[in-house]
Amino acid sequence: MSEEFKEIIMSHLRKDVLSNSLKKGERFDQRKFDEFRSIEIQKSVIKNAEGSAFVKLGNTQVLVGVKFDVVTPYSDRPNEGTMVTNAELLPLASSTFEPGPPDENSVELARVVDRGIRSAECIDVKSLFIEEGKVLSVYIDLYVLDHSGNFIDASSIAAIAALTDTKVPKVEDGKIIRKEHKGKLDLKALPVTVTSIRVDDFWLVDPTIEEELAMDSRLTIATTGTHVAAVQKGKGSLTKKEFLDNLDIAFKRGNDIRKLL
Amino acid sequence: MNNKRIVLPGERISDKKLFMPNTFVEGEETFAAVIGMVDEEGKYIPLESKYKPLQEDVLVGIVTDIRHAGYSVDINLSSPGFISSKDFRVQLELGDIVSCKAGQVDEIGEVDFSEVKKLPPGKIIHFPPAKIPRLIGRKSSMISLIREHSGGDIVVGNNGYVWISEASNIPLVLKTINIIIRKAHMSGLTDEIAQYLKNQKTGE
Amino acid sequence: MGQDSDIKLLVDGKRLDGRSQFDLRNIRIEAGILHDADGSAFVEWGKNKVICGIYGPRECIPRHEASPYKALVKCRYSMAPFSSLEEHSRSGPSRRSVELSKVIREVFENLIITESFPRTQINIFVDVLQSDGGTRTTCITAAAVALANAGIPMRDMASAVAVGKADDILIADLAKEEDNFGQCDMPVAFSYRKKDILLLQMDGLLTREEIETLLNEAEKASDKVYAKQFDALKKVYESPEENFKM
Repeated sequence: MSEEFKEIIMSHLRKDVLSNSLKKGERFDQRKFDEFRSIEIQKSVIKNAEGSAFVKLGNTQVLVGVKFDVVTPYSDRPNEGTMVTNAELLPLASSTFEPGPPDENSVELARVVDRGIRSAECIDVKSLFIEEGKVLSVYIDLYVLDHSGNFIDASSIAAIAALTDTKVPKVEDGKIIRKEHKGKLDLKALPVTVTSIRVDDFWLVDPTIEEELAMDSRLTIATTGTHVAAVQKGKGSLTKKEFLDNLDIAFKRGNDIRKLL
Repeated sequence: MNNKRIVLPGERISDKKLFMPNTFVEGEETFAAVIGMVDEEGKYIPLESKYKPLQEDVLVGIVTDIRHAGYSVDINLSSPGFISSKDFRVQLELGDIVSCKAGQVDEIGEVDFSEVKKLPPGKIIHFPPAKIPRLIGRKSSMISLIREHSGGDIVVGNNGYVWISEASNIPLVLKTINIIIRKAHMSGLTDEIAQYLKNQKTGE
Repeated sequence: MGQDSDIKLLVDGKRLDGRSQFDLRNIRIEAGILHDADGSAFVEWGKNKVICGIYGPRECIPRHEASPYKALVKCRYSMAPFSSLEEHSRSGPSRRSVELSKVIREVFENLIITESFPRTQINIFVDVLQSDGGTRTTCITAAAVALANAGIPMRDMASAVAVGKADDILIADLAKEEDNFGQCDMPVAFSYRKKDILLLQMDGLLTREEIETLLNEAEKASDKVYAKQFDALKKVYESPEENFKM
């Protein structure tokens, strides 16, 4: 993995060379504009967690672990389990990531992935009820290990892959019996995000870090097989038509990705 | 890897004092400071190393700041180099790419520049400095070969920054460069790359 | 350490996982697995999984910390919230991870030729993805490989292992139960060429003779660890196409 050239992260990027290449219809890695990099998924890599997955999206690598704890439910939803998504942009993943408390990028990452899963009602939270005042909480931790662009989609794929790998722990006397399971976590939907960026007039799916550095706009759309579950516009602006075109792409690429899960 | 062997930091590479880059001397002996290869004749070749400027090196840099008296230039060292606008009359902009020669290098590694040139638009990438000699090749054989097939100019900085002109077939150059990085220590590399570039051409 | 428990850590001279007294668990090391870091390594040691990334020498931030004589070595050890079998842990550095970051840094300050890079910093980031007893020794083993992979000049390599005592028997490479319920844990790191002690911590009760025996065993074990580190670094050049699996 390290045995490749590295992009230089420039504080003042000259995007002219990339734009000219895109005008000729070419990305530097020779992908089509609506094509993902290669996706590799490895599940059950962390045995201490109730579910886990390691995803490589091109050179971007993300690990997701899923754990359960017994918690007190929210007072307005006493019969429902809870879900918490956290993201860490580890300093070893990029020279641009600093150690310290979560910054706005990691918070946005966690919230976008969380929204897709929540809106799609992927997890049946009622099934996580234990007894009055006690429910299971699902913790989804997104660990970005290597950042070569588009860590949002890599994390979203890894999160859903980890959930498909997740076993619900046995609970006795209000306590989790670690390493004993009731069975697989039942998933109602498989929400997957697809992120595209605009460079000048061109929309590129699954941007590399170099393409991201030159981006004018960014758009992330989470879909299930049938519905849009979450949307996040990042930097920049877009037209209505561009949004609708990107929805079509998000459904198409989302379906491709769901086949890999 | 035939009769070559890998040595790790701290391994003895000679029972004499050698005083060469990426090694250190203790007593009468010389030790490897970075991972390297010792060839059939006992010569030590570093496989990974940090760039240390030497006089006469070709440097490729990126303009990162415009100041009153000149320009700050990122040349892959921990602190930027400086081009004085007295020595270089052409106007530079942020993000411009320049090539130059290293002049005097002082004891803390700061460099004077000479023969500064502004390069036309192109892509710049980072290539491991220890492997730069393989990218250039014996008498520039490797880099000439790539230039010939890519149809455009390439400037290789000893500092690990490589500039590829917009006129080149950039995707082809990038793929070729990745093969060279992965196989830099293997013999017969120039022939392999020649064959690869030929296949790419007929493949299209 | 020394918690009361009914767990028998040794049965017929065999440990819970079937090892005998001074056997090590399985160790798998991969170098150069991260794309952006200047050097990297992954170590699977028993059920431990750790990843290490190196950046630098690079500009020292904050600048007033920079030394005109040498590079500063900085280390950050942290544990993923899903890394242990017990409950989900909170993020942010604990007192334990602050201490481990310090003792790991103090291993490599002995080895890195910091005088070559004044005014800079070298960052060692180690993240425990799955823990199983002995994470600090696993992290040191990973960091040495990652530093070599990064081309950071060093005077020597470091290899680490924990030794200790459980059920009145001296043992090497403590697994989690042996660490939790045993009598003593002593993580040690040695330099390979000089056999200097670079990390030494201990808790529990041992006699002088026991300590001497354990140190000798730790030294032997660290040579075995070094052989794995060597193979991992060699593999980067011998099979450059190989794909990393976690």
